[in-house]
Amino acid sequence: MDIEQKQAEHIDYFVKQASNLKGTALSTVIVEATSHPSLFAFSEIIAASNVLELEGTENSASLDLLRMFAYGTWSEYKSAADRLPQLVPDQVLKLKQLTVLTLAETNKVLPYDLLMQELDVTNVRELEDFLINDCMYVGIVRGKLDQLRRCFEVQFAAGRDLRPGQLGSMIQTLANWLSTSENLLVSIQEKIKWADTMSEIDKKHKKEVDERVEEVKKTLSLKKPGRLVDQ
Amino acid sequence: MASSSSSGLTFKLHPLVIVNISDHYTRVKSQSLSPHSASASASAADASSLPPPPPPRVFGCVIGVQRGRTVEIFNSFELLYDPSTHSLDRAFLEKKQELYKKVFPHFYILGWYSTGSDAQESDMIIHKALMDINESPVYVLLNPSINPAQKDLPITIYESELHVIDGIPQLIFVRSSYTIETVEAERISVDHVAHLKPSDGGSAATQLAAHLTGIHSAIKMLNSRIRVLHHYLLAMQKGDIPCENSLLRQVSSLLRRLPAIESEKFQDDFLMEYNDTLLITYLAMFTNCSSTMNELVDKFNAAYDRQGRRGGRTAFI
Repeated sequence: MDIEQKQAEHIDYFVKQASNLKGTALSTVIVEATSHPSLFAFSEIIAASNVLELEGTENSASLDLLRMFAYGTWSEYKSAADRLPQLVPDQVLKLKQLTVLTLAETNKVLPYDLLMQELDVTNVRELEDFLINDCMYVGIVRGKLDQLRRCFEVQFAAGRDLRPGQLGSMIQTLANWLSTSENLLVSIQEKIKWADTMSEIDKKHKKEVDERVEEVKKTLSLKKPGRLVDQ
Repeated sequence: MASSSSSGLTFKLHPLVIVNISDHYTRVKSQSLSPHSASASASAADASSLPPPPPPRVFGCVIGVQRGRTVEIFNSFELLYDPSTHSLDRAFLEKKQELYKKVFPHFYILGWYSTGSDAQESDMIIHKALMDINESPVYVLLNPSINPAQKDLPITIYESELHVIDGIPQLIFVRSSYTIETVEAERISVDHVAHLKPSDGGSAATQLAAHLTGIHSAIKMLNSRIRVLHHYLLAMQKGDIPCENSLLRQVSSLLRRLPAIESEKFQDDFLMEYNDTLLITYLAMFTNCSSTMNELVDKFNAAYDRQGRRGGRTAFI
């Protein structure tokens, strides 16, 4: 959540810039925004009206690029590279970071092979360096690297911009979570009741046993003492 | 003597004070009880039903800070009480006050404490004596009798007010309400002590119930928060609230952590630990059973051995 705080001022800055400029100047702003090292959220910039106007003009490639940065991954970029402007190394790095975030969306355990394939990285050493320096130290992911099993366990990943359709699935997930926790509450209450009833039964049982022991003791002492001296 | 009204001051009491008073009382009570219990066991055969001696009253001072209309009682220390003159040891009080002033320069003597079930007449004398240190001292009374049905703390705070009774202005005690205020360290220690609780009826079932109740309330809080988020997102989807992207991103990153314990490794470890616990319980039960069986056999032999000796038959087992 601190990522959001760090990004907030950058987002404001770029939105202000975007609303002041138009056309080609806007595309330079976009390039600047996408290479900025601590900015990972682009939906506010996309929503700025001047940016939307770029659609259909000769700078629409910049808009597509912005959209790619907001929602897409490195492999999507590669497949669409002819339509989109060239990327400076900063932007390449950023797109790869965003790719890691997207991958972390679906699985919690990311195998090294998948990561190497998605990020175009050939050896494990480079991959780990990338993950450690460019993802964990920046703070967008937190997790554990498991070298033996060659996987990366993600514990926390910052959120990417939402595609319009994702809101529905988030609501669904929340609803599921809610119902699971409610069921859990009910079953805990049942368990508490069960524990209480069992202890009640146990106490009653103990009392009965004690009473019977008392009875037997009394009847024994009432019997003739001569019986015990059986020589 | 004590009507419930208040002079408009709000009182805040720290748990440290309560623990101090109760500790003082318990110490004095257990120290005075041990010679008594030795003699009591010796005279038990007399069936002399002497009522147990009234529990000793302990006295001390409470210190704290007064800011405006709020009186916050932080700490307390003990004092010697002279029952003959109904007064507290003044020199000791001043010395202690000096020492505490060095460590806590902001704390003043706000009043005094004692134990008992109700405020008494003689307390007013002590109260008046303290009035030269603090013009309106507070009197904190702890009721040491344990009443399991009682839900609130057995602590009452009294103030002194000048009331006209029968034409004579007199100081009487009036009860005031108070709230409990905790510092983080106090909260941790109180929490800790509360969990060590199984003193009365601490059978396994009540401990389990207590543990489960704790989990239940925690999950309930989580539940209410998830519900808030759910409503918020629904409203956002319907369009009642403008979309706030930063929040949406945070929620999505939160939801991504979600199947928190689904992985195979977790299942393996969990089942292993579960099986280990079951096995240990089983073993313990087994050992218990076999020892009970052993005792039963011994008793059986002891009861029925005589016939065996006579007839040359061996014991039952």
